[in-house]
Amino acid sequence: MLYINNLTKNYGKFTAVDNLSLHVPEGDLFGFVGPNGAGKTTTIRIVCGLLKASGGTVQIGDTKAAVGSKEMKRMIGYVPDFFGVYDNLKVKEYMDMYGSMYGMLSSDIAKLTDDLLELVNLTDKKEFYVDTLSRGMKQRLCVARALLHNPKLLILDEPNSGLDPRARVEMKELLKNLHSMGKTIVISSHILSELSEMCDSIGIMNKGKLITAGRIENIMQQAAGGKKIHVRVASEMEPVVRMMKEEAGVVVDSVRENELIITHSGTEEAVCELIGRMIQNKVLLTGFYQEEGNLESLFMQLTGGKN
Amino acid sequence: MKIRLNPIVRKDLQVAARSMKLSWGVFLYDLVLVLTFLLAMAIIQSEVGSVYSRDNIYSYLVYLFPVLAIVQIGIVALIVPIITSSSISGEKERQTFDIMLTTCLSPLRIVWGKVLSGVLRILFYVVAGMPILAISFVVGGMSWANLFYYLVALTLFAIFSGSIGVMCSAMSRRSITAVIRSFVVYFVIYGLTFLPSLIRMIYGMDAGESFLFYLFNPGVFFEEFFMQIMTGQSLFDGNNISSSDVGFFTGLLSNGTLWMFISGACIILMTVVFLLVAAWMINPMHSYAGRKRRKKKKGTE
Repeated sequence: MLYINNLTKNYGKFTAVDNLSLHVPEGDLFGFVGPNGAGKTTTIRIVCGLLKASGGTVQIGDTKAAVGSKEMKRMIGYVPDFFGVYDNLKVKEYMDMYGSMYGMLSSDIAKLTDDLLELVNLTDKKEFYVDTLSRGMKQRLCVARALLHNPKLLILDEPNSGLDPRARVEMKELLKNLHSMGKTIVISSHILSELSEMCDSIGIMNKGKLITAGRIENIMQQAAGGKKIHVRVASEMEPVVRMMKEEAGVVVDSVRENELIITHSGTEEAVCELIGRMIQNKVLLTGFYQEEGNLESLFMQLTGGKN
Repeated sequence: MKIRLNPIVRKDLQVAARSMKLSWGVFLYDLVLVLTFLLAMAIIQSEVGSVYSRDNIYSYLVYLFPVLAIVQIGIVALIVPIITSSSISGEKERQTFDIMLTTCLSPLRIVWGKVLSGVLRILFYVVAGMPILAISFVVGGMSWANLFYYLVALTLFAIFSGSIGVMCSAMSRRSITAVIRSFVVYFVIYGLTFLPSLIRMIYGMDAGESFLFYLFNPGVFFEEFFMQIMTGQSLFDGNNISSSDVGFFTGLLSNGTLWMFISGACIILMTVVFLLVAAWMINPMHSYAGRKRRKKKKGTE
């Protein structure tokens, strides 16, 4: 869906985005992660046509439309990190205004407005003035506004910044809902736990460079050097440790009283076969589980911070 | 056929109409016109009221229209740049501008929408002031055609002033900076057009073709407009200035209403240039917008 090739943005000698290449598949919920000043917002602004790139290309779908062209703008729905609203403008008028900015007819906008307000749970606020809504409601309204012209790609830049916990949960649910509908979503956020729950894939940026990108579980595994597996046994530990050391692709990380932590660099099937062999060797297994990667520690590891 | 209004114009008028500012603006505008009218009447009364005066009151009353019209032009000259200067910079301050730029509206349509909404707002005032202006009909001295030409000229002038305001708004982040810049540009235009003739006058030279710069001066345009309405002559024809003073082209343009139309065309040309500059400045795909952001970034570092 979204193809970014060798994207570069220079501000004089300072390089904000350095040769970034990325692909977001259709229907994916892609999380953009990175510390402040990493270049996430600059990348998003270039994709949305709000900033001119110094080099590289951006393509959405099969079209060859240039960034900033009408065709490209029709394919993107953009929700900025912070946005203002107009005084004395009602929710339905707000939607109507932006709909007409995309050349839509008022009758079509009115129909879509009802559906979208229902989707973002703001139906009862249709006649309210926009400036009287809470921050969370405004954010959801902005998502509805961004979806009005039915874009192929929805881009959200820090949509949860400044929201209270309840509003964050509502926003998360809304995004999950949109994802289940098949929308391709790109979201940049600092709240890594939420991203790891929601996203199919992530891209980690630091100092203008894309450090890594891909399916979230693959990245976790790659960073950890394999699958981190906890093996709990009721039998004696010594033969189990010996057996593990003899297994190919298995590294014993730590041994506790009844628990063994190993790193398995093989496939899922290889892990299943290992369980089978343990049972055959009469190891009394009480627990066997794969440790879920922690995006925060991965992020700190990849961006050079201490964990 | 359904007319599709520029969404920015519709939104701006909707928002403005719900604000008390518009009502108070109309009230103050009419108040200034009424006070001008009463002051003019008092002056006329004192001129012809004397028992020794042989003047006919009607010979003075015909000047009511130009006096009221000039006050109206003055208010438009003052208000339009203020309204339009805060149009784009106001969107930037409110942080609504980026979303606007991601829509299918082209930068030129955004700029034009902003000018048009400012001009339409000022036309509310002009229409509200019509009953006061209509008093001059009672005493005569002007025709319906003159009133129509006046309104066309005023609208043109409002668009010109609005284009300066929007251009300055496009190059500023803060509305107050944009307002100051607008008035600076305004006075530079007025001052620069007078400069060549002033220099020639200081050095004791004939005016030559230096009056041609006045074609770009909206003030001189309106002077010429009222001269034509009141006397049917041009400011620059032989009856008003020595024909030997002015150059060939100035003399040529001072025939009939030619000067007025050429001047109108020059003002339209300047308006188009200002609008294009404003559209270029807000277009994120041009380097100007990026340069502004870079300066801001350096400032915050």
